[in-house]
Amino acid sequence: MQGIFEFLFKYRPLVFEQGEFAFAAPLSVRTWLIVVGLIAAGAVATYTIARGKSSVVDRGVMAALRVGLLAVLVFCLMQPALTLSTVVPQQNFVGILMDDSRSMQLADEDGTVRSSFFAEQFTRGESPLIQALSERFVLRFFRFSDVARRVDGLEEMTFDGTHTNIANALDVARGELSGVPLSGLVVVTDGADTGERPLTEAIVPLQAAGVPVFTVGLGDETLEPDIELGRVELPRTALQGSTLMVDVVVTQSGFSRGSTVPVIVEDDTRILAEESVELGPAGEPVVTRIGIELQEPGARRVRFRIPGQPGERVERNNARNAWIDVVGESEKILYFEGEPRWEVKFMRRAVADDENLQLVLLQRTAESKFLRLEVSDSTELEFGFPTTRQELYRYRALVIGSVEASFFTFDQLQMIADFVSERGGGLLFLGGLSSFAEGGWAGTPVEEVMPVILGPPAGEEGYFSEIDVTPTPAGFAHPAVQLDAEPADLRTRWEALPPLTVVNPINAVRPGATVLLTGSRSEGGEQIVLSYQRYGRGTSIALTAQDTWLWQMHSDVTLEDQSHESFWKQMLRWLVDGVPNPVLAVAGEEEVEPGESVELTASVRDSTFLDVNDATVTATVTSPSGLVEEVPLEWTVEEDGQYAAPFRPLELGDYEIQINAQRQEASLGTDVTYLHSAPSDREFFGAARRTQLLRRIADDTGGQFYTRDNVATLPEDITISGAGVTLVDELDLWDMPALFLLMLLLMGAEWGYRRIRGLV
Amino acid sequence: MFSDPRGPYLGEAEVKRTAGRFPFYWTRAMYSGGGFRRGSWAVDFPKSDQQFLIVIKRLVRLNAYDWENPVGLWDPDLRKFPLIYMLEVGGMYLTDEEVVGLRGYMEAGGFVIVDDFWGGRQWDNFLWNMRRVFPDRTIVDIDLDHPVYSAYYNIDEVIQVPAIGNTYRTAECAGCYPQVKGMYDDDGRLMMMINFNTDLGDAWEWAEQPSYPLEYSTYAYQLGANMIVYAMSH
Repeated sequence: MQGIFEFLFKYRPLVFEQGEFAFAAPLSVRTWLIVVGLIAAGAVATYTIARGKSSVVDRGVMAALRVGLLAVLVFCLMQPALTLSTVVPQQNFVGILMDDSRSMQLADEDGTVRSSFFAEQFTRGESPLIQALSERFVLRFFRFSDVARRVDGLEEMTFDGTHTNIANALDVARGELSGVPLSGLVVVTDGADTGERPLTEAIVPLQAAGVPVFTVGLGDETLEPDIELGRVELPRTALQGSTLMVDVVVTQSGFSRGSTVPVIVEDDTRILAEESVELGPAGEPVVTRIGIELQEPGARRVRFRIPGQPGERVERNNARNAWIDVVGESEKILYFEGEPRWEVKFMRRAVADDENLQLVLLQRTAESKFLRLEVSDSTELEFGFPTTRQELYRYRALVIGSVEASFFTFDQLQMIADFVSERGGGLLFLGGLSSFAEGGWAGTPVEEVMPVILGPPAGEEGYFSEIDVTPTPAGFAHPAVQLDAEPADLRTRWEALPPLTVVNPINAVRPGATVLLTGSRSEGGEQIVLSYQRYGRGTSIALTAQDTWLWQMHSDVTLEDQSHESFWKQMLRWLVDGVPNPVLAVAGEEEVEPGESVELTASVRDSTFLDVNDATVTATVTSPSGLVEEVPLEWTVEEDGQYAAPFRPLELGDYEIQINAQRQEASLGTDVTYLHSAPSDREFFGAARRTQLLRRIADDTGGQFYTRDNVATLPEDITISGAGVTLVDELDLWDMPALFLLMLLLMGAEWGYRRIRGLV
Repeated sequence: MFSDPRGPYLGEAEVKRTAGRFPFYWTRAMYSGGGFRRGSWAVDFPKSDQQFLIVIKRLVRLNAYDWENPVGLWDPDLRKFPLIYMLEVGGMYLTDEEVVGLRGYMEAGGFVIVDDFWGGRQWDNFLWNMRRVFPDRTIVDIDLDHPVYSAYYNIDEVIQVPAIGNTYRTAECAGCYPQVKGMYDDDGRLMMMINFNTDLGDAWEWAEQPSYPLEYSTYAYQLGANMIVYAMSH
């Protein structure tokens, strides 16, 4: 199509887009208009005066055709032209940015390796493209992957970079060429950008400087057939013996929808789980939830992988790794109960054999008398419910049973709210005669922490209803309500459990809260049974039923049934899941290449969980070979309590990073994180050509997008881009074949009309 | 005019239907044996139960149903009440249905308080019945360092509590001394607390009588409070 356009109009459409139309004839337009008018009037007059067989219509048509012909002629005589700014040869620079990442090793469907483009097109003296560019511009070459740098030739390309950071590459090239007249940057890449910086940050300065970016896209737009194991998210830590429900995202192209592939989850020693995943439509991610049990304590790298499928184009995007620290310690939970209740006994029994949960009980047995169980020493909670943040924040979670809000001082209520929002602790509210609205919690600082909306309290008679409990769709997928059932049996298991009772009518949750269990009331209507919400740094949960012990005691429940035990273990483990320590260590990436820089960060807070900015923070890094290195972390200034330092692993293997924070000789805490140093497969995820992205870069900067097929016009397009040192050039249009053809058409039309009408 | 502060009496059927309205029901186990009419389960019934509830609610912050609650060992609804009181077991003769009911109840987590039986013959009869319930479980002494003695009050000695008509000599048989024994489950959790050669129920029932020594009723209520608080938390 472009070839036909160029034949008819002499130039490519881009030339018309870039140029300005003008008449080169010396006379003014007004003079030309008078001339055209006089000629046209003469022509019309000859047809008006003429007599013969012709009718008025015939004369009108022929006059119009004749006037049209004369108009084209006059148009040509006016010497139409395009005015263009074209670069002065050899006065301008062009930066050529070449993708040196691993994804360039991939082959297209026809077997052409992406990186072969560089040898074909950029070998001096052999390629017409590089010759055309060299004739017009001074060329500067850059290679880029995770970092970008100037290169002298293709021999410096390795195609082994672990990242594709286009924004960084544009910044580096712009910076290096900022002192010279720059006609444009050419970015040759597949566009599979893995950088974390928004591209806009690199594009805006180029727009301001008027530097167009010409993008050349390599590779196929879809890799078929291929299966990609996308995002996998594991928590940093988990309690030993926990069952994690991990979302695994699988995307396919070129395989039939509905076919299945196995996902294998394994650590260094054994297979943790294996699940069959049904593939979705091509290009659409399918999320599958896989349960894995973590029995052995210690940090480990968990690998999720799909075995390579027959004919698959890229197998290196079939696996993901994630670190998890399986904690064998006991997590301390404070359960405060306002009166003797059976929930206490049965909850304690349910988790008694869980070595990772220490359920400390503080139970009010009389007005100022408390029963303390599972305390660490005789002084713990000796004066009742904690009155200071230091005392309360020692616990990682708090369970509040049937106790009226007026039991607490205002400061204690505020402290409970802060326990969730600032300390990041888990808070579980249980149903009971003195819970929720019936316990006077409405209007207290704790009310807004609750995920449920409190209505008016039940009257003097109180409220009582029996409820059949059922998981919601969100509940079926949530680890806290999986009981000990196989996924396929979960619904049956819940249906078999006996009904519970509620004395707090609750039927609404706050915006943003999630409902996991609902109940059908005996009198009709729905009761919110289990719901939760994120509140500040922590999580709050409401369990409005008052007697889950019936799942243990009821005559319909067999002695072998472990539903009650599983429910409470999972609930309490969920409650402490992700609760932060005062010092939190994070490696920017869990897996890097040897020599690649990673940022070590630490969040530092004191025992009341206030951010600390004047701490001395040090990372003690132990390499795979046992070498110990100390890396000091500095306060970032941008955020309170945040410290950071770069670290570059040099060995292959696992690094242990222990971060210690001190203030005035006093330890604020320590935390450990891990880093795996190994060749990375990151470049093989999302490795298809990203045309949209490359086209956007070009469009936003005034450049053009090319593929292998049309890249030949690149030199000329840069020439007329108008950037750099330019001169004004006029391109004649009067001799366009299209004008000649139009004249022939008009003459032929008049002749034909005369023949048809018998006027010859 | 005297106004009864107790809540309404709901009746046995209603209590079972709406179990859960109250966090606690003082539940008396009905069993077979010990008499031709109501059987030995009903000794001191219902005054002992009612009076016990009145006093215990003033001692402990216990949100309890104010009235007696007799439930048969054979009744599936027994499982809605995780603590039962069973007395005069010296004359009990459990039916097979009751054996199964009691076994399931205790294995599921129910707690049993046994009281008011005396002497070797009654002990043997009780033991015979318990062996039908749990052939392999043993009954052992509960020493004074057990948490049940400090769950609410600190109790440092086991006292023989006499029946109302026997306060002058306390023991109802020659050589009978008070013992507190228990039966534990496989995980070492106390399932049954057996008050042998003592009559806590009479002390609860007759505490208001001037003729009944305060020492015994005080002890009986203290031990009652401890047993309830312990059973509801352990």
